[in-house]
Order: sequence, then structure tokens, then C-alpha cells
Amino acid sequence: MREFLSTFETIFNNAIFYYAMFVMGSYIVLTLLSAIEMNGYMKKNSYVNYREILVSPLAPSVSILAPAYNEEATIIENIRSLLSLHYGNYEVIIINDGSKDSTFQQMLDFYKLEKVNFSVDYQIKCKDIRGVYKSKLPSFSKLTVVDKVNGGKSDALNAGINVSAKDLLLCIDVDCIVQEDAILKLAKPYLEEKYKVIATGGVVRIANSCKVEDGRLVEVNMPKNLWPRFQVLEYIRAFLMGRMAWSRLNGLLIISGAMGLFDKDTVIKVGGYDHDTVGEDMELVVRMRRYMYEQDRRFKVVYIPDPLCWTEAPADLQILGRQRNRWTRGTIETLWKHKDLFFNPRYGVLGMLSYPYWFFFEWLAPVIEFLGISVFILLALMGNINWEFSLILLSMVYFFSIALSTVAILFEEMSYQQYTKGSDLVKLLLAAFLEPILYHPLTVYWAVKGNIQKIRGNNNSWGAMTRKGFKDKKNSAETEQTT
Amino acid sequence: MNFFEAIFNYIGEIFTERLSYFPSNIRISLLIILFCAIAVIELYFYIAFRRASQANQQRQIENWKEHIDTILANLLIYDETDDTNEIIEHFYPKIKKMPLRNATVNKLLTSEIITYHKNFTGKTAEVLSVLYRRLNLDKKTKKKISNKNWETKIEGIREANEMGITEMADHIMKYTDDESALLRMEAQAAYIKLSQTDPFHFLDRAQERILDWHQLVLFEIITKNKKLVIPSFSKWLRSPNDTVVMLCLKLIDHFMQFDAAEEVERLLKHHNPKIVKKSVEIIGKLELEDAEQHMFEVYFDHGEEIKLEILNSLGKISSGNYAEFLSSRIYSNHTRIKREALYAIKRDLDNGENKLKEIYHQTTPENQALIAHVLDSRIKQ
Repeated sequence: MREFLSTFETIFNNAIFYYAMFVMGSYIVLTLLSAIEMNGYMKKNSYVNYREILVSPLAPSVSILAPAYNEEATIIENIRSLLSLHYGNYEVIIINDGSKDSTFQQMLDFYKLEKVNFSVDYQIKCKDIRGVYKSKLPSFSKLTVVDKVNGGKSDALNAGINVSAKDLLLCIDVDCIVQEDAILKLAKPYLEEKYKVIATGGVVRIANSCKVEDGRLVEVNMPKNLWPRFQVLEYIRAFLMGRMAWSRLNGLLIISGAMGLFDKDTVIKVGGYDHDTVGEDMELVVRMRRYMYEQDRRFKVVYIPDPLCWTEAPADLQILGRQRNRWTRGTIETLWKHKDLFFNPRYGVLGMLSYPYWFFFEWLAPVIEFLGISVFILLALMGNINWEFSLILLSMVYFFSIALSTVAILFEEMSYQQYTKGSDLVKLLLAAFLEPILYHPLTVYWAVKGNIQKIRGNNNSWGAMTRKGFKDKKNSAETEQTT
Repeated sequence: MNFFEAIFNYIGEIFTERLSYFPSNIRISLLIILFCAIAVIELYFYIAFRRASQANQQRQIENWKEHIDTILANLLIYDETDDTNEIIEHFYPKIKKMPLRNATVNKLLTSEIITYHKNFTGKTAEVLSVLYRRLNLDKKTKKKISNKNWETKIEGIREANEMGITEMADHIMKYTDDESALLRMEAQAAYIKLSQTDPFHFLDRAQERILDWHQLVLFEIITKNKKLVIPSFSKWLRSPNDTVVMLCLKLIDHFMQFDAAEEVERLLKHHNPKIVKKSVEIIGKLELEDAEQHMFEVYFDHGEEIKLEILNSLGKISSGNYAEFLSSRIYSNHTRIKREALYAIKRDLDNGENKLKEIYHQTTPENQALIAHVLDSRIKQ
């Protein structure tokens, strides 16, 4: 028995070691690719005058689609902020997804809305639209409000697509703070790529503790709370390193649900957002990509490193856990729905690289990590652990993680340098040391919980997302969407 | 021996005496740990050093910017009656006293002169141009344009463009069809402004694509520059480069060049659907009644996007010749076609709305909803 356990331990140690090496190797490759992409982008765009798109009649037209569900605390301010973005040819479509609070009434009163005889062309399936409203005031002519039966975020976005009259769709979370020049920057790739661009995304940043005035971000601060601070680091790593690298490979599988610009024609052709998943943002991009491959058309999904959208990150562990749980379930649902892509050469980078990467590293990594920890504890209880070797292996992962986060911070420093205060930089660097010990185990736990819930066939619940809001705590808005 | 000393001794021991006795995976792990630890320390130092150096440079820029701005602001008080040479003689020694060999100061001075030149006309702009040359900054600009690095070339072309150094136009011309998209766009933009004889000559030789973004930039430059003599863009509509044709169509549209009508109508048979669509749009905008029949003839050969554009244009022309055809389209299977046909009928200012009201009473509930939509002026098309 002892001999068996000893052999098992050796195999276990080696398996963990080689898997870790594989993961770390992939991170190094992605970091290098990301550095090349970022460098190219920064050089190319240092000459750009974005005002040229702003005023040009040749710029593509954009519909901003923002679903709203029980947003009474912030809806007026949010709409005002969307109406003042720097772009010429755009409309704002707010989709009231059957709110139970006074969201709709507030919009009616403040923006002096009246019902118009809008005949909706249901090109994409969605729940009944009760009415389409326009403002009586000319200053709000860009605004359209759609009132519909509750159907969840995907359904609301699909309703918005059916009402949209423009070429591109900017799908956003209504409570996000959008940078004034966000559309300009997201629209540019549609005008400059050789191949058809089907979607663009930008970097989403954490707005906790930042100063917000009139729906605009006026001062960037590091979150005071530790959990959002870890998320700052996590987002910098994911957006500036991961997604930029995948953009370079033209293998991006996800455009953040908080903000993404899509080609309307392609979105309609693939049937819009899927109602049956909580990972609708990822699923749509995968479906659009596979459609383009099936049509034998060359295309690109582009990511740009500019910080374009600021969102409030969950500061409460329970809410954060729900969010991560949902992300995991969304990933599983998308991977399962498109399982025929797995190492399928017909789908090029999507089938041979992006899908397997997500399968092995995004979905499987936390599961393997959890299994590894469980076996480690079991072996330790049975007294069959070489503590020295185990400590060395753990330290390797820990130091690699710190190094990776530090490189991400360097990327941030060399590109947009949002955290200008020295104290904020120090906090971020310190977070890199604490994150693998305090935060990472929790994300693994939530991911495993998401897997278990999915296997047990749990519902498609989004879970409650309580936000404190950027004003005061009295104004906190609670959003809960259930598909 | 205290705790930390024991730790350090242990680490020292495993990296020196015991390293070779460990199994290979543990050895590799130890080397990765060492590499990462050193990398992190170095990165920390680099980030700290970078911040310090940035702060220092920022201070330097702020100081010199104030100094340079003070000098340049004094140029604004002069008017046309003042002698340029006298002004230069007054300011040149002051500027020369600055440490112009310092790259930061030199770059700052160049960019400030360019900014002032861009924002002022008349005497101020003239003095700044002379000052630019007197400081030999034009020679630096020329050198930059000849540099091997495309980014430096762009910097030089921008400087020449902003300062209006017309004698560099021929030098810039060779880059207007460069392989580097960014470089050729900058060169094209500068050439339009700097060429004294034929600012659109680059269109004759353009073989590389003019990307949509570049078309947008060139469009802005051409349409906003009031000094530019606008040619008839129809002469490039037979270009083998589709992107040249597209840019010219956009310009014909903007400048309402009726003389291009025949050539635009010919493009209805072009192989590129984007060009066909734009041609149809122009025919509608210019209300070219003679082209109506041709549009009608090609209607059924095309996809939905072009069909929609043809309906739109027929509506804009509103000759009445195709009223029957437009009415028949409201029984199409495609809602967008129906809606566009209804909008086209509505565009007939004399009778459009009445015609729609008439159809309303004879058609299906679905079409009635569409007619109500089209007649609702609060909804933009």
C-alpha cells in the first residue's frame, strides 16, 4: 500500500508539474503576442485624430443598446451620459425589460416620452414589445425607449436589435461608465481592416473608489476594498495580456458583455443573442465566428487596449461568487453547445486553437487545480507527502503568478497608466503578492461550484447583482435578471 | 540563529549544495522560482525608475513649455505692417539661447511652432514659417522624411504638412502608394495640401488600397480645404483600383457633380456591389431621372442591400414613372423592402402621403402597421 501511494505521489507530482508547465508556457506565449499587438496598436494610433471620425458623414452609424431592469436609482443619469458621447451618427436604444420598479415611469417623465407607431420587424426572436417611445423634446431625438415583457438580458438585446436602424450595434450594460470617445475608438477598426470586422471590444476597468461626476469618470483611484483591488489586477491581466494576444491571433472568443461593438448584419444572420445561456456574450462571438467560417468569409474580431468602459466590481464576496459562478456556467454552456468545434480544422484558429485553449485552460484549469488540492490534502492526511517537493512546486506557481501580474502592471504603466498616484501603484504591486494566496483560491472554489451546479442541472439564474452605485449608498441599484 | 537567517540558509543550501540531487522537475521548478524572483525585482526597479524619469521629464517639459509659449505668444502682437525680418531678428537670438541640442527641448519647440502655425494665420503664420526655416527645422523635417523608419517618415511628413512646406510635395509623392498603409495615407493627405500643381495626381497612380479609414480622412481634408481647386472626380471612375472609384464617388456625392452622371450610371454594372450601391445612392441624390430605367433594369439582379438603395433612389427622384413598381413592392416577402417601398412612395411630395393613406385601406394589417410607421414623422428613417 505504501509503495502504491509513493508511486501515486510521484505520478501526481509529475502530472501537476507538467500541466503547470503547459499553462505557464501558454501564458508566456500570450504575453509575448500581447506585447507585440499592444506595441503595434500604440504606434499606429499615436498618429490618429479621432475627431475625423467624430464629424465625418462617412463614419459608420451606431445603435447603442442598453437593457435596463430595475434601474430606477440611476437610469436618468445613465441615459444622459450615453446621450453625450462623442460621436456623430448614433442612436441610444434603452430596452426596459419589464422592470418592476419605476424605471420606465421615470424615463417617461424625465425624457417626455410618447409612444410612436413603430412597426417592429422581428428579424430575431424576442418577447413581445409593448411599445416604442420617442422623446417629444428635440434635444433627446437620439433616444428611443423600448418597453417589453421581461425576458432577460439576451432577450432585451435582441429586442433592441430588432428596433435598431443603424449599421453597428454597441451592446452595453446601462450602469457602466462609458468613456466619451469609446464609440470613436471601437468603430475605427471597422474602417481600417482588410477583412470584414464582425466585432470589436475594448478594455473594461474597475470604477470602485473612482470619482464620478454627472455620469463621467473624473478621477481614477485604486479601490479601497481589497476584493475589487484584486479584480483590478485580474482585469488588467485578462484584458491587456490575454485578449490582446488573442486579438493578434484573430482567435478571440469573447467580447465583454459590459461593452462590445458588433456588425448588425452578421448578428442578425446568426439569430442574435442566445436566450438559453448565461454566457450570452461569449456564445454570440463563437456563433458569429463559426458562421463566418461556414460562409468561407475572411473576417476579424478586434480588441483594442484603450480603457473605454468602467464598471463597478462586486466588493462583496457573496456577490462576487455568484458572478464567477455564472461566468463558469456560461463558459460550460458555450463550450458544450459548440462542442463540434473541438480540434475541428474546418474552423481554423477557432477550432484548432481558441476552443481547445478555452477547454483546457479556462474551463479545465480550476477543476484540475481543485482536484490537485484535494488529492494533496488526502495524501497529506495519509502521511504520504514529500513536503519539501510540494512546497517547491507551490512556490514555483506562486512566483510565476507574481511575475505574470508584475508584467501586466508594466504593460499598464507603459500604455495607459491609469493609476497615476504612486500609492496606487504600490497597492497594485502588493496586490500581486497577495492575490495568489487570498483571491485565487476563492475563484477556483467558485468555478468548481459553477461546474457542480451545471452538472446537477441547476437553473439559468443570473443571481442578484447588488451595486452600490457611484453616488451614495442610498442610491444603490439592485439588478436581478433571470432568464 | 533567528528565523529569517534559517530561511536564508535553507534557500542558499537548496540552490547550491542540494540542487543537483533533486529530481529534474524539482530542479526546473527551483530555476523557475529563481528566474521569476529576479525578474520581479528587476521589474520593480524598472517601474520605479520609469516613474521617476517620467516625472523628471514632465517637469522639464513644463518649464520649457512655459518659456517657449511666452516667446511665441509675443509673436501674436505683430500685424501685416511689421517687417518679418525685424521680428525674426528680435526673437531668433532668444530661441537660439535655448539648449536646442537637448532632444526634449528641440522636440517641444518644433511641436509648439507647429501648433501655433496651425492655429494662426496672417503675419503670425508667416513669421513662424520663416522662424522654422531659420532654425533649420525644415532640414530636420526633410531628413525625417528620408529616414528608413516609417514612423519617422510619418513624423516628417506631418511636420511638412502642418508647416506648409510646399517644395517637399514631390519628395512626399513617392510615398503616396507605399506598402505601409499608414505612411501612404499621411503622404496622400500631405500631398493634397502641399502640391501646387496637381494635388490629386496620386489618384492616377494609386495601386494600393485606400482603406475606408483613409477615405474618411482624405474626404475630410478635401471637403474642408477651401483653397483647393476641386476637379471633376468622374475622370477616376474608370480606375482599376476600386477604392479610388469609391473615394471619388463619395466626393462626387458631396460636391454634387452633375457632370459625372453618365459615368455614375455606367457603374450600375460594376462588379463591386459597394460601388453599385454608392452609384445608386448618388443617382437618387442627384435626382437623375434619366438613370431611373437603368436602375429598374438591374433591380432584380442584386441582393437586398442594393434593392433597398434602388427603392430609396426611386423615391428621391419621384418622377412617377415607377409608382406602380413601388406599389407592387409592398407585397414583397421582406419587411425591409416593403418599408423602403413605402418610404419611397411617401417621398412624392405632391401625392405621397395621400397615396399611402389610400393603400392603407386596401392592404393587409401587417402593411397597415408599416404604413402607420412610415407616416409617423417622429420616427426617423
